Amino acid sequence: MLELVGIAAVAGVLVAAAVSVVFGTNLVHSVLLLAVMLFTTAVLFVILDAPFLAGIQVMLYAGGVVTLMLFAIMLTRRSGGVAVNNETIKGRRLPAAILCSGLFALLAWSIHQTTDFPNGGDNVLATRQLGITLFTEQALSFEVLGVLLLAATIGAIVLARKRDHGEPEPAGAFQRPARGRKEATR
Amino acid sequence: MTLVNVLYVGVLLFCLGLYGTLTRRNVIGILLSVEIMANSVNVILVAFSRFTQNLLGQVFAVFVMSLTVAEVVVGLALVILLYRTMRHTDIDEASRLRH
Amino acid sequence: MKQVVCDTRVSTMQDQTLLLPATVALFLPLLTALLLAVLVPVRRHGWAAAGASVVTAVIALAAAAHVLAQPSDGQSHVWSVTWLAQAGAEIGVLGVRVDGISSSMLVIVTLVAACVQIFSLGYMKDEPRPALGRYFAYHSFFIFSMNLLVLAPNLLQFFLGWELVGLTSYLLIGFYYQKPSAGYAAVKAFWITKLADMGFLFGLLSLFVVSGGFDFDASLAPGPATAVTLGLFLAVMGKSAQFPLHVWLPNAMEGPTPVSALLHAATMVAAGVYLLVRAFPLFGQAPVTLDVMLWVGSFTAIFAALIAVVQTDIKRVLAYSTCSQLGYMVAAVGAGSAFSAYFHLTTHAFFKALLFLAAGSVIHAVHSNELTSMGGLGKKMPITSATFGIGALALAGFPGFSGFFSKDSILESLAEHRAWVPLIFLLAAAFLTAFYMGRTYVLAFMGKAAGHAGHAHESQSNMTAPLIVLAVGALGIGWFGHAFAGRLSQEYSFEFGGIGAIATVLGLTGLSLAVVLYRKRGLAADRSPPLLALSGFVNSAAVDRAVAMGFRGLALPLSKTVSWFDRYVVDGLINLIGWLGLNASKRLQRLQTGNSLDYIMAVVIGTLLVIAWGVVS
Repeated sequence: MLELVGIAAVAGVLVAAAVSVVFGTNLVHSVLLLAVMLFTTAVLFVILDAPFLAGIQVMLYAGGVVTLMLFAIMLTRRSGGVAVNNETIKGRRLPAAILCSGLFALLAWSIHQTTDFPNGGDNVLATRQLGITLFTEQALSFEVLGVLLLAATIGAIVLARKRDHGEPEPAGAFQRPARGRKEATR
Repeated sequence: MTLVNVLYVGVLLFCLGLYGTLTRRNVIGILLSVEIMANSVNVILVAFSRFTQNLLGQVFAVFVMSLTVAEVVVGLALVILLYRTMRHTDIDEASRLRH
Repeated sequence: MKQVVCDTRVSTMQDQTLLLPATVALFLPLLTALLLAVLVPVRRHGWAAAGASVVTAVIALAAAAHVLAQPSDGQSHVWSVTWLAQAGAEIGVLGVRVDGISSSMLVIVTLVAACVQIFSLGYMKDEPRPALGRYFAYHSFFIFSMNLLVLAPNLLQFFLGWELVGLTSYLLIGFYYQKPSAGYAAVKAFWITKLADMGFLFGLLSLFVVSGGFDFDASLAPGPATAVTLGLFLAVMGKSAQFPLHVWLPNAMEGPTPVSALLHAATMVAAGVYLLVRAFPLFGQAPVTLDVMLWVGSFTAIFAALIAVVQTDIKRVLAYSTCSQLGYMVAAVGAGSAFSAYFHLTTHAFFKALLFLAAGSVIHAVHSNELTSMGGLGKKMPITSATFGIGALALAGFPGFSGFFSKDSILESLAEHRAWVPLIFLLAAAFLTAFYMGRTYVLAFMGKAAGHAGHAHESQSNMTAPLIVLAVGALGIGWFGHAFAGRLSQEYSFEFGGIGAIATVLGLTGLSLAVVLYRKRGLAADRSPPLLALSGFVNSAAVDRAVAMGFRGLALPLSKTVSWFDRYVVDGLINLIGWLGLNASKRLQRLQTGNSLDYIMAVVIGTLLVIAWGVVS
């Protein structure tokens, strides 16, 4: 009984956080609520017998990603100190709502139709086993993942570093027309 | 707790994330919504893994997590770049590729 | 892929002796014409071209005579090449067909053409030499085109020859192209015959649809036969100048006189009648068309004769006379007697060509076409006046001359057919024919000389020799009716019945009346009341106005409807396709908003559809 309530609470918090993230107007609030949601997901992982994943979730997401987002917000603020504008675009709300509810209905219906869902036993899946699988069966994918992360890191550094004098930006196509004669159009 | 219930939650989260992606004005807001979607996928993966006693679900979830982080990193780098050239982070304004 | 199939009916010796000369007669003039077209220096030289053309014409004549001289066996012999075949059925066939009808016509064409070309050597000698070369090249081409249709084994090749002679006619009428009236006349002839040829095309295609081929003797039900034959008759009306499509023929006199003699008297305009004779099996199956022909022909005969009476231009008299005589031939076919039409065609070719050439001789001597500039030429130009007289008497149907026999044959067949009103028309036309020919002869060759006629002298020998040759024909052909009929496997016996007597009396009356009226008073006799009234009517724009009304009432609305259809429906359809393309493109371009969220939405929609499809199926 208690179990049921607990799980319902977790699910509820999850959904509520998500809703706030999606519908909120203040960006910083949204990011913080995302952190809450990610943390709650970690709790859900623990309930689902995946402690290791819960740990990673907290570390990477709730820690890393959220921090990154906050940094990005700070760097992209316009001077003035006003809360960052985060509205939803008026014209898009209805079509998106229809689309998403449609998708939800579709998926829910197909879940509803399915009859043979597994309801596996109570064996706890050992983290040890997970580690072994990662480094033996999925070793190739693991290595590739490593390379990918490296590439992503280097790429991000290259993209976002400060430019020396006269060095062109990679995103030149988005430049506004030259304000003075000095800045030539690219 | 059954698989089906977790699935419903996961699907709901996914759709919420999708809605956010489609309607947000701020670029970072879009990235937040994408985060939610990725997270919901993880939830569903782990749920399946738990109920089919197959470890592959969790392995896959690890990968998804790592990839998502990489994607966020690159994405935010782009956001900063965008901000530098456009001086704002409004995606609606950034329609220079318009016909 | 073309399949060339040589007809294997060429096995007997007789075939060879018949078909080889015929083929030579067909293609040698073409060769000459092509050579003259291509070898420009030869053509520019003038006399070299003339020589080549005349020699070709004479050789063609010899070949034709050779064919005619062979004993006839009542069969038709064909050499052919299939140039278009589909699933085993031969559709397009080009070839040479020799039988009684075509062998006689071949001789007529080549004989008159040779005479005309020799005459032209004298008549056209003052032309600039390049023009002379062009003239003779056209003549050779004409012989080829005419033979193409004479020797055609099917209607398709006949149509080819038909169109080519029309083209040659245009080129030759407009020979003096620096004259605006000549250009106008050439275009007028071409347009009117082109209108008529639409009928030919319609008939041809209907024939193909109904019978799957282009044979002259296809058997059809009365309905389709009427449709096909009416179409073909429309073409005949244009080519053989029947009312109301006769209007181009007087204008066609703008061409040189030898051309008028060859094309617009003896051969090209006769091609229409030749079609009627050739395709008579088809026409015989459509009694409605035959009746139409009877009435149109007889009306044309009398209508044209009336107009001829008050003309002052000698060529115009002869032109309207040709119209009238063609009407006789058409009426004869309408009465069911293809033979009498063909007989008259033959005799007419001789005496009309003769009359035109003699007129040419006169024109050459007095430097004018008008009867007012002539007179008293009988003494000064004996050969010309004698031959003209022979031709005139033949045309008028004087007993013993060729025209007498052929006209009588026509009148008899109309009487047999009990076509009384058309018969009356034809008899009246006979009277008028004699009258106007008498008038012309008296005014030109008798009485006092006027103007240039005073210093006229006989023409040179290369102009008078053809006259003599044709005069012999005009005199003698009539007596050979029996042999002629034998060639065509027809029955012919000369019966001189009541109708013939009436016609002869009318003819003699007409002649004497003309002599009496014009001998003493000359042209002043034209001012007598009935003639004055007639010329008033003719010169009034009554006919022209009627034609214009017909044009405004019928042709213009039809043309407007068709052009509306063409512009808005046909073109509209094409433009619609273009417009669709453009607009679809423009609308689709709006999908490129440049807004990333739109693109994401597109992806999501696509994914949703795929999932939905997967779930549903």
